[in-house]
Amino acid sequence: MTASMARWSAARTKSRLWWAASIASLGLIIAVLGSIFATVFVHGIPALRLQLFTTVTTGIAGGLANAIAGTLLLVSIGLGIAALTGIATALWVVEYAPPWAARAVRFTIDVLVGVPSIVVGYFLYVALVESLGWGFSLAAGALSLAIYVLPYVERSADVALSDVPTTLREASFAMGARHAVTIFSIDLPYAMPGILTGLLVAVGIGLGETAPLIYTAGWSNYMPTLAPTHSPVGYLTYVVWTYISQPFAPSHALAYAAATLLMLFIFATNFIARSFVDYRFPRHHGH
Amino acid sequence: MHKHLAHAVRRALRVAAAVLALVAVTSCASSNGPTPILETGSTLLYPLMNVWVSAYQAHHTSVAITTQGTGSGTGISQAISGVAQIGASDAYTPKEHISGETLLNIPLAISAQLIAYNLPEIAPAHLRLSGAILADIYSGTLQYWDDPRILAANPALRGKLPHHTIVAIHRSDGSGDTFLFTQYLSNASASWRNGPGFGTSVSWPPSSSVGANGNPGVLQTCESAHYSIAYIGISFLSEVETRLAYAALLNPSGAYVLPTTASISSAAKALARRTPADARISIVDAPGAGSYPIVNYEYAIVNQDQPDAKVRRELASFLRWTLSVRGGQRRAYLGLVHFIPLPPSVARVARAQVARIR
Amino acid sequence: MQRAWAQPLLRCITAIFAALSFGVIAIMLVFLIAYAYPAIRFNGTAFFTTLTWSIGNQYSDHTISHGGYTAQIGAAFGALVFVAGTLLSSILAMLVAVPLSLLVAVALVYRVPPLLRPLANAVVELMAGVPSVIYGLWGIIVLVPFIATRLSPSGNGNGLLAAALILALMVIPIIVATVRDALQSQPVAVYEAAMALGSTSWQAVTGAILPSIRSGIMASVLLAFGRALGETMAVLMVCGAAINALPHSIFSPINTIAAVIVSQLESALTDTTGMAQRSLGELAVTLFVITLFVNGIARVVLRGGRSRSAA
Repeated sequence: MTASMARWSAARTKSRLWWAASIASLGLIIAVLGSIFATVFVHGIPALRLQLFTTVTTGIAGGLANAIAGTLLLVSIGLGIAALTGIATALWVVEYAPPWAARAVRFTIDVLVGVPSIVVGYFLYVALVESLGWGFSLAAGALSLAIYVLPYVERSADVALSDVPTTLREASFAMGARHAVTIFSIDLPYAMPGILTGLLVAVGIGLGETAPLIYTAGWSNYMPTLAPTHSPVGYLTYVVWTYISQPFAPSHALAYAAATLLMLFIFATNFIARSFVDYRFPRHHGH
Repeated sequence: MHKHLAHAVRRALRVAAAVLALVAVTSCASSNGPTPILETGSTLLYPLMNVWVSAYQAHHTSVAITTQGTGSGTGISQAISGVAQIGASDAYTPKEHISGETLLNIPLAISAQLIAYNLPEIAPAHLRLSGAILADIYSGTLQYWDDPRILAANPALRGKLPHHTIVAIHRSDGSGDTFLFTQYLSNASASWRNGPGFGTSVSWPPSSSVGANGNPGVLQTCESAHYSIAYIGISFLSEVETRLAYAALLNPSGAYVLPTTASISSAAKALARRTPADARISIVDAPGAGSYPIVNYEYAIVNQDQPDAKVRRELASFLRWTLSVRGGQRRAYLGLVHFIPLPPSVARVARAQVARIR
Repeated sequence: MQRAWAQPLLRCITAIFAALSFGVIAIMLVFLIAYAYPAIRFNGTAFFTTLTWSIGNQYSDHTISHGGYTAQIGAAFGALVFVAGTLLSSILAMLVAVPLSLLVAVALVYRVPPLLRPLANAVVELMAGVPSVIYGLWGIIVLVPFIATRLSPSGNGNGLLAAALILALMVIPIIVATVRDALQSQPVAVYEAAMALGSTSWQAVTGAILPSIRSGIMASVLLAFGRALGETMAVLMVCGAAINALPHSIFSPINTIAAVIVSQLESALTDTTGMAQRSLGELAVTLFVITLFVNGIARVVLRGGRSRSAA
């Protein structure tokens, strides 16, 4: 056996060991995710009853209708605002902005990622809830979610739009298409999977956050009224956060049910949006 | 492909317009209907508030009371700013007048605190502990479970206590439980009084303890760490009984007393007459051989000036109900969280406070 | 759509939204600095050099003054413990998360059979979707007891290790997703060429493929690092909430800036001088400066990476 063959054989053993380690790592995170699911679902799934969807939270337990409706309202309005603002901002930054302005906007957006959610919530509490006298409200809650998730939406849309191959856009211009047409027919569809990934991350983060809402949306045992101000709104993370802290078994069951619904809701959103995009805007592979 | 997108955008805009119109309509319509009252604050009082509110609302439809468990500090601060009408708090306000507002401290019920520990060697025996010993444990000067000072207080457990470091657990969030516990330590130990002192969150001595979030976090941490000790609200009595054990505490009369309905009532009665008109008093270390030492009033903090007449009327009516023997003070409600009703003289002080709302 | 007004209109609308998002963030940051200003004056440099954090005695009528600003008696605001805890937990989290994420991403792209790939990708996306509170809950129910009974010599599980591991779990999906997408965009020819030159499959990946996506890896690592620095709820639940003491081992309790803002806000609200609240504001500004710093480094590194790959 020559020295080079021995070296090659050693390299092959090393290669196999590393691949084993790599597959073991994948196994490890699957196991951890499984453990997290088990922790929540073992307590949460038995607590799921039809009544949860039809009755409101009362006393030490009750239902979750108010929290589900509130969560849907807060997240759809908040994410709507963030999506509109974030994508439009990204479009301006990528398509129109002078370089210094693009840098300034990107820089502030990056800094916002590191601002803890409680700071966003507390800022809006002082500015909107107290100073403007909105009280705990749908408007204040939705705005706090919108601001908190804005950087995730803007940055991913920004990256996705920047990644559109120049050849595609030049081809569009060459065929006589105007800039605005190119944006709608080439840039946005091509960037859609990336934009959507950002939106989905934002939905997950928005649904999972408690801190910005406690000081803005407040909490309510009643169904949300749709009044933009002076009417607090309930949401699911509050139930997870608060009812887990109560000394009653029914409250714990409700908290786990809320956590389960929250996770199912996030996963359903992910699944639906992913399959929609994969169908409408198939992912581009290779270059 | 852009046709799909343009279509989707148009549809989204149409939905947004519909939602906005709906919002506008309902916000105009929502000015009539039950008077909204907001209660926020103490997570210790929150379960009882929830029980009270659902019982009260069953017979009173002219008011819609919303409860929030956010924390005593938030309760006090939002009662001052007028965002909430009732701020629930485990601790009385530092002053009666804050930021130009007059705050009423209205006692609603009596609560107590357990000292829980995880000692597999002696479970479920009740350890005897004092404020001085606890102050030394939390200062880091008393480090082992078989310390002579602990053995001196527990002669029956000689030889059973392990030579193991004590893991002291405190609340990381601002909490009425911390307020009570550190008051008990301050009363017993001059160095604690002049050091960390007492408050809803204190500056814990550097060498000592591990922080956990909320009573459940404390319970979970105490359960997972052998040889740990913690303070936990009486609402969690049944959890502590099944999962850990709790101590008999030294009171000012020199007796070791367990937290029971009788020993908490005894403490409450002993200090009832001394409760001043503004009800801002610590009832930790009440006199009486049978009194449990760590006991407190749970408060509704209410801004004396309520500009809205309807809110003022409904607020006073609800608070009077919580203070009445046939209303909120019934054992059916208080017993759920192991609270004790107010002695009659304190209930009178509380009602006089309610009457000051204007 | 072939209308002359569409173009300026779109430009105008997007500019308004860009101004709006820039404006809101700028206002928030200016507000934060203005809010923290009295604390910055009151605390001086002691804020960064001392260990003691105390909001002072809420129940005393006495106050203390410094630099023309007043706080409750006994108040001291030293943030060193929290700054150290924030950096230590995030750095340790990255030391765990980065190698693990690279291994996972490589396995996803080169070793998971195509049939199972959507399933494996779903795992990564589900991990990204788990709410922060639930990571915390899993931490106190599963991870902390494990550390307490199996690893920690003192029997305490809440601390640096628990916080770092939870943070690592939370940022792994961010890195894996980016690296996976970057790997998938690499031409298959590179891999095949390396194999043809006599490399093992592992050498082909680490020697030829990973270096070419270096700047993408760095970008995702720094984004993840930013996320870890600002993460609040999950860390709060497992960090052991150290106060006044620096950690001396990986099992020691720590505290982070974001966690301490949440846990101290409650009590700070009852400080009638307002200095405790403003000092929490100064903590927020500190975190924001740290984030600026990390972003600055990210930009320099990325620029370096880009010029190298262009050369």
